[in-house]
Amino acid sequence: MILELDDVGVTFTGGPPWARTKVYAMKGVSLTLAEGEILGLVGESGSGKTTTSTVALGLRRPTSGSALFEGKPFPKRRKALAGRMQAVLQHPQWSLNPRMRVGHCVAEPLVVLGGTTKDEVTERVLATLGQVGLDASFAQRYPHQLSGGQRQRVSIARALVTRPPFVVFDEAVSALDVSVQAQILNLVKDLRAEFSFAALFISHDIGAVRYVADRVAVMRHGEVVETAPSAVFFGTPEHEYSRQLVEAL
Amino acid sequence: MTGWRKADWLTRSGLVCLAVLVLVTVVGTVFGIGGDPDAMVGPRLAPPGGEFLLGTDELGRSMLPRLFEGIGTTLLLSTVAVLVTAVLATLLGVAAGYYGGWLGEVVLRLVEVLYSFPTIVLAILVAAVVGPGQTATMCSIVLITIPLMTRVVRAAAVTVSERDYVTSAVISGAGWPRILVRHLLPNLSGTIAVQGTYALSVGILVEGGLSFLGFGVQPPQSSLGALIQQGSTYLLTAPWLVIVPGIVLIVAVLAINVFGDGLRDGLEPREARSLV
Repeated sequence: MILELDDVGVTFTGGPPWARTKVYAMKGVSLTLAEGEILGLVGESGSGKTTTSTVALGLRRPTSGSALFEGKPFPKRRKALAGRMQAVLQHPQWSLNPRMRVGHCVAEPLVVLGGTTKDEVTERVLATLGQVGLDASFAQRYPHQLSGGQRQRVSIARALVTRPPFVVFDEAVSALDVSVQAQILNLVKDLRAEFSFAALFISHDIGAVRYVADRVAVMRHGEVVETAPSAVFFGTPEHEYSRQLVEAL
Repeated sequence: MTGWRKADWLTRSGLVCLAVLVLVTVVGTVFGIGGDPDAMVGPRLAPPGGEFLLGTDELGRSMLPRLFEGIGTTLLLSTVAVLVTAVLATLLGVAAGYYGGWLGEVVLRLVEVLYSFPTIVLAILVAAVVGPGQTATMCSIVLITIPLMTRVVRAAAVTVSERDYVTSAVISGAGWPRILVRHLLPNLSGTIAVQGTYALSVGILVEGGLSFLGFGVQPPQSSLGALIQQGSTYLLTAPWLVIVPGIVLIVAVLAINVFGDGLRDGLEPREARSLV
């Protein structure tokens, strides 16, 4: 298993000590992700999808329960995970540092990982840009010279440049035009076929999830209400809420 | 020079005024135009014109070289102080904004305590502790400008650290030095530069105020504040002693502010505008 979340709970506390307010962002969430599998995570805004992704990426320690990555708890030092996991995040306009050339953005995970010479890095960056459908001239451009779809391609290139076994796509296509969405989804599918990474594909767009995911998990109010293989889920959804989602498609 | 072409006429004139002021001062000081600023060469309180272009003061010293020296002292003191402020405020602001937690709280509370002192009271306090002079002036400027700058840098650092490219870098395993140098500082530089210009104009005013009260630059060295203070005694008989350095002070502060506004319009994204 690449990722195992077992009975994970995340609670946010707020307010002064005499009037504590608690928000349960995740309650008893159990999810597993096998090598090379794409798990689609759907749910409305505020259902705990993004919190789940931060736990899966080891950015947030669960309040209760356990999170294992490749069978081990998350290490204290982030550097130990360098190159093993990556993410493609929500906002195309902020996914890339506006003061860095695209080439440097894509190279960053490789440089942080170390062990590669400058020429190897350049070669890998250009190759990866090619794999996401961008030619070598893009390496010299700045993010503001790119369209939203191109930026998301660059984000995907940056995520895949170290060939990680696990990638999180957090609303990676939600901010894009429908036609561009389809291109990016096809790209994700093609790249998965090529590099066979496991992915947590988070989206409120159930159509997008249907297109790429092998299995689907539905979240509502911080809980997972149903997990099923794609074919089963979209054929005969069990839970009432899942049924509503599928019908709305 | 795309920046120049994009700037409006107000920003350009601010920059031009500032450049002219600095250039004239540097040329005047280096070539000793008007003679020795400390030499008593002429009649006392001579009006402008003729041999002494800006007149002479109560000791018969020519005002032109004294003005050059004064502008030089004021600008140099303020600039050095603002550079110190910029470095300290950036460190504090990024620490508070990026790391947050108790460190951020401590920084913020300290800065708020400093913020609560009225400007000139704080400056006099510093002069009383350090002893009047250039050091006191610089320390005052740093202490007075650091709270606002730290708070603005912190606010900007909070915004930048929440952006996806910083999160991506963290996920990639990048350490804090890399995140600081590659991601935070380049994206905060605009904010820091804009705040720096405002701090510079505040610094010039603080120097003027402190020297006017006699706690700043000490005679015989001149500064804009010291010139105005010395001239104020003869305001009715020899008004040019106050008017000329006064006008220079106003022009310098206005030019820096106007240039700072232009810099802000050019460098800071619209949504961050409300922070300033």
